[in-house]
Order: sequence, then C-alpha cells, then structure tokens
Amino acid sequence: MSALEIKHLFGLRGVSKHDIRLILDHAKQFREILERPVKKVPSLRGMTVVNLFFENSTRTRTSFELAEKRLSADTVNFASSNSSVKKGETLVDTLRNIEAMKIDIVVVRHKGTGVPKFLADNSKAIIVNAGDGAHEHPTQALLDMLTIEEKLGTLEGKNVTIIGDIRHSRVARSNLWGMSTMGAHVTLCGPSTLVPRNTELMNHVTWEPDVKKAVANADAIIALRLQKERMDDALLPSMREYRNTFGITEELLENAKDKVIIMHPGPINRGVELDSDIADGEHSVILDQVTNGVAVRMAVLFLLAGGRNNENA
Amino acid sequence: MKTLNTSNLSNIVLKNAKFWNGQKFEQRDEICVDAVKGIVPRDGFEASAEIDCNGALVMPALFGLGLDFMEPLRDDVYKYADGIDAMFRGGFYGGLYESAANPIDDADKLTATANRFRLFGNRAHDFEIKFLGAYSKGFGTDSLAEMMELAEAGVVGFGDGNAAIPHSRFLRLAMEYGKMTGKRFFFQPMDKTLRKSGCVHEGAYSDMLGMKGIPRIAETVAAYTVLETARFLQVPVHFKQVTCGETLDLVRAARQKGIDVTCDVNLYHLLLDDSCLETLDSAYHILPPIRSAADRDALWAGIVDGTVDAISVNHTPVLRQDTVVNFEDSVPGALSLEVALPAIWNKLVSKVGEARAIELLSTAPARLAGAKSAQNNFVVLAADKPHTVVERDFAGHVCNSPLLGKELPSSILATYINGVYTQL
Repeated sequence: MSALEIKHLFGLRGVSKHDIRLILDHAKQFREILERPVKKVPSLRGMTVVNLFFENSTRTRTSFELAEKRLSADTVNFASSNSSVKKGETLVDTLRNIEAMKIDIVVVRHKGTGVPKFLADNSKAIIVNAGDGAHEHPTQALLDMLTIEEKLGTLEGKNVTIIGDIRHSRVARSNLWGMSTMGAHVTLCGPSTLVPRNTELMNHVTWEPDVKKAVANADAIIALRLQKERMDDALLPSMREYRNTFGITEELLENAKDKVIIMHPGPINRGVELDSDIADGEHSVILDQVTNGVAVRMAVLFLLAGGRNNENA
Repeated sequence: MKTLNTSNLSNIVLKNAKFWNGQKFEQRDEICVDAVKGIVPRDGFEASAEIDCNGALVMPALFGLGLDFMEPLRDDVYKYADGIDAMFRGGFYGGLYESAANPIDDADKLTATANRFRLFGNRAHDFEIKFLGAYSKGFGTDSLAEMMELAEAGVVGFGDGNAAIPHSRFLRLAMEYGKMTGKRFFFQPMDKTLRKSGCVHEGAYSDMLGMKGIPRIAETVAAYTVLETARFLQVPVHFKQVTCGETLDLVRAARQKGIDVTCDVNLYHLLLDDSCLETLDSAYHILPPIRSAADRDALWAGIVDGTVDAISVNHTPVLRQDTVVNFEDSVPGALSLEVALPAIWNKLVSKVGEARAIELLSTAPARLAGAKSAQNNFVVLAADKPHTVVERDFAGHVCNSPLLGKELPSSILATYINGVYTQL
C-alpha cells in the first residue's frame, strides 16, 4: 500500500496531490463500509485517540469520535471546559500529561492558528487538525472534496464557488488549497469586509464580488456559515441584508447550472446563508457531506497511523 | 549556566586591534585603556592585563533605546541585574528605560525605579540609564501624569510604554501640558481600533494563516494624528519602532513643515520580514509586528537617506511559559541586547558605512535620550567570525529571541564597560 508523505495533518496547504488522492480513495472504501450492517473494522485496535477540543464542537467531535470507534480505536474526549486548562495549565503541559497516558493520536481543535503544529513539535503523538483558528480545517475540506467527487465524478476541471465569510473561515482556506491541488477552479465571493485583503492569497483563486456571476459557472457551491458576531463587529450591517445579497435562494439558483450541488459545512443558519427550501432541496448534498465526514476521518486516522491492519479495511 | 567571565580590570592593553578613532578604524598594535582616563599613551602605563584582539574591531559601546527589564513582575526570572548583565554581554553602556508594566507616572515611582536599578542592578550605578516618564496615570486616558515633577526628577521625555496612541483629545491635553517641560514625547504609533486584536502584520501571510492582522494604516493614522498635534502645539515628538515606509514618508513631510520629529527603527524590523510567520514560531511574536519584505526594504531606505535617526533594541524579556505556547497566545517581545551588534553590524556597514553605523547604534540613540557618549566604554567585535546563538548567550532565565539557534555573521569577543572587562 502506498503511504502518506505527511506524518501529521495540519492543513492542506502544501499537501501533495498524491496524499489527497490516497486519503480520498481510502475514504471511498470506508464509505462503503459505513453502508454495511456491521460498520466496524479493527484497523486501529489497540491504539488510543484523544479528541482534544479547546473550542466547542458537536459535529466535528462526534464525527471524529465515530470514525475512531468504527476503526476500533480506544477514544478519549478532552474538552477545555472540564479540564485543567481552566486552572492555568499550559497547552504543552496538558499535552504532555495526556501523552504520558500513552496515547497514539491527538485530534485537536483550538482557537489559535498553528496549535496542531505546536503540539506536534512538542510531542511524539500523531496530530490531526480538527480546526485551528481561522487557519485550516483540513478534514472538512477533504469531506467536501469527497462529496464533489462522489456527486460529480471528479474534481479536475470543476468550478467550485465558495460564498460567505472567507476571511474568518478555516474551511474556505483548506478548501481552496486542497481543491486547487486537485485541479478544481475555486471562486470566492462575499462581502468586501469578509474576504482576504491581500492579493497573494487571491492569486490562487478567482475573486468575484457579484454573486450572480459567481454561481453562474459553478458545478458546486459551498455556502459558509455566517457568525452573528460579524454583525457586532460592524463587518456587516444585518443578517437580512446579507441574505438578500449573498444568500443562496431559489432566485439566485436561476443563474446557476441545472446540476449544481449545494454544500454547507454546518450548522446552517437557515434563511441566512441558505434558504430552507435550498438546504432541503434537490441540489443539496449537505447530509452526504456529514456521512462522508466520518469516512474521510476514518481514512485520515487510518493512513496516518500507518495503515496497519489494512487487509481488514 | 549563564555566568559571565568578568573582571574589574582598571587598566588594560588591547593588542592587535582595529581601533575606532572617531572617523575610521585604524590598525593598532596596542591600545592602552585607563578605566578613568580612557585611551592613554603606553609610556608609564601599568596594565593589569594584556588582551590579544586578533585583529578584531574595537568600537564605542552602544546605547539601547527601549529597555524594559520587566522587574518586579517576576524577579525570580528576570531582574534588573540580568538586564545589566545583558548590557555587559552586548556592549551597551547605557539605555533609555521605560516600563510597560509599571508606569513611571510620578516622581516617587521614578525614584523607586532608579533606586531599584542601583540596588538590584548590582553594578548598575555606573551605567548611563535614562528614563521616560508616562504622560498619563497608569497608561490610561483619564488623568495626566505629574509631568512637571517627573521632569524635575529627571525623566528625559514622556511616553506611555507600548500603549496605543490615546484618543485625540487626551493626546492634545497631554502634549499641551507636557509642553511646559520642554521634553520630547515618545510614541509607538498605533491606532488601537485599527489594531484591535491583531497580532501580526496584515498581509499575505496573515491571510494565508488566518491570523488577525495589524494593517499599516494602524501605524500611519496614529502617526499622522501625533504629527498634526505636534505641529499644532509645537511639541517635539519621537516615533518608536517605525515599521513601514509610509510612516517614514509622514516623517519626511513633517520635517519639511518644520515639525520637530525623530524616529527609530527596531533591530528586528530591519533583520526579518513576515515570511517568518510560516514557522508559526512564537519567537517571532513582536509588537509592533514584523512587516513584509517591502516594508523592511523601505526601512533600510530610511536608514540610508537619514530619515531614521537611530536603531532601537526594545529589549523585552518574556517568561518562558509565555513563549512555549502557540503564536497567538504567546506574549510578544524579544531579547536583543546580547545579539544586536553581531546581528546587524555587517549589513549596516554595507549600507551606510562604519561611521554612520556607529552613530545609529551609539551616539544617535544616546543623543535622543539626552545621555553622554560612550567615552571609555567599548566593544571588541570580530566582524567576520560567525556565531550561532545559544541559550547561554542570554542573561537571566529567559531566551525569547527570534535569533536563537541562528548564525550571526559576527561575534562579540569582549566588552569593556565602566571598567569591567567581559570576555565572551
């Protein structure tokens, strides 16, 4: 079996096409396993995975936990709200204490950019980034890519439009790096106060301020969640204006291709990023994304752990 | 262990050195240094030691703009004595001190800080340490500091540490009141609302890494506000740690209008650019932020054309536990006294020549702080002998420097400060 070039998953920037391909191909195999009556494989039996979440998360943590259990790993959840971090323990001390308990893999989410790399620099464990600040959320992007390949056959040459709060989105960053590597063409669209300000990043993508034009050639549209605090921070005037300008509505989709797929990393603000009839409609693949999330995370954990017991997969 | 090999050698002979004669380096077989009289003739000179410099440069000791030794925050980690130790190591005979954590906002605090320096700084009494007083009470925007008394007690100017520029009305009142003292106001130009929670330069790397950026206009808007207030009130001002060419343009324009404005550039802003953020290493967490390569080049242009008056060090110890965290949660600041000269000397000389290099590092910062010149204090620098920075190069129990582990093009072989010879 071919092995990953990366030893940890910090993000998708700089990750090779070979590695992304390998993860997606394995995820497809795990996706099939998830359809079986018995969904569990012994690939990570005897290994211990800690889900180290310093930010609130339900979906991602649950998805990782399920992936770990499907791979027969022993799983421990560690949330900052009930940890010694609240008592002033440093991040590295927290990690070292957990590591002293002989864990193999750490899945980490943290508000700070680069925390996964920091932990890898200070630990022997395999580190998987479950979201670091506004930097990257690589498994979300991988599941987005898996979903597009599943629905459209390939990423190569496809037009993917990401709409919303690009500046603060780790999902958007991981997607634009990963999808660009895999040959898709990424277009970004959003209010001028919520897109990156510097052209260097934008060199990798197309910036289209007109949402109608942004969706016109799209094969896939990813709507990003809009945080309420963006209004408090005066980055936007109102949810209402955002919905009317950038929200995915039936009317907007009249400008799009017939077979366009609509994606969202969740949780959805219905009536803001997406109208309900779009979220639940024929174009939506949002629930497929959720299922694919488990498969992708299984693939990432399996491959980073060295692909041992591969024959059982 | 970070002990220094120091000795009180009142009279020494330096052999085989290139000695700075005030205009250029000249090869000398021997230089006789009397701790009191300075350079003296060989005849009748009784040396307590003879030191072979192996052709190294013997130049005036440096003056550090921006000293903050953090005591008494954690005096088990970094003391005034450690700061003084760092000055010995780096060849600094003096510096301009201001405390970011403990505002010197009345005369008693100035006296207390100066006394602590003398008491706990061990050999500090002979150092040329000058102090900035705060213009506000507690670096706030509600009350003015007692600037008249502070001036009388000996502060050389006023500044609120690394605090952002206050709102315009308070700024005006502070400068209007402080004008009575005739002292210069020192500002780190930063608009706090434009900075908000930014921690790195707003540019390509902050975008790629998803980190909150500090735009250049956070500096230029603040600088413009200060300059307009200075023009209106006719008060001399100084900008600390200018980071971008746009601010230097404002300085040039202001001088043309007759505004008395001086400025310095931080050592690290001349040595680094924001590509260092790729490493996500908290050692690069410095405020104001390290900006782009284009900004760094603009600062060098300001050095070359004379817009920049001095190079500052902004020596800031940070507790180890505050650096061994991810970048955004780390405490900003860098040590610099120990590494400043070997890090920048060769590049600086290649840009502006030896005389101007010495001026930027020694005489000009001293002049800005109203301090005396280096006189009998000097540094022995092997300009072409590389040195890899290791933890034991730094004084105290900290080593927060982006140059840790890096190879510097030059090495300090020894310093001679206040009659204390330090072999490195």
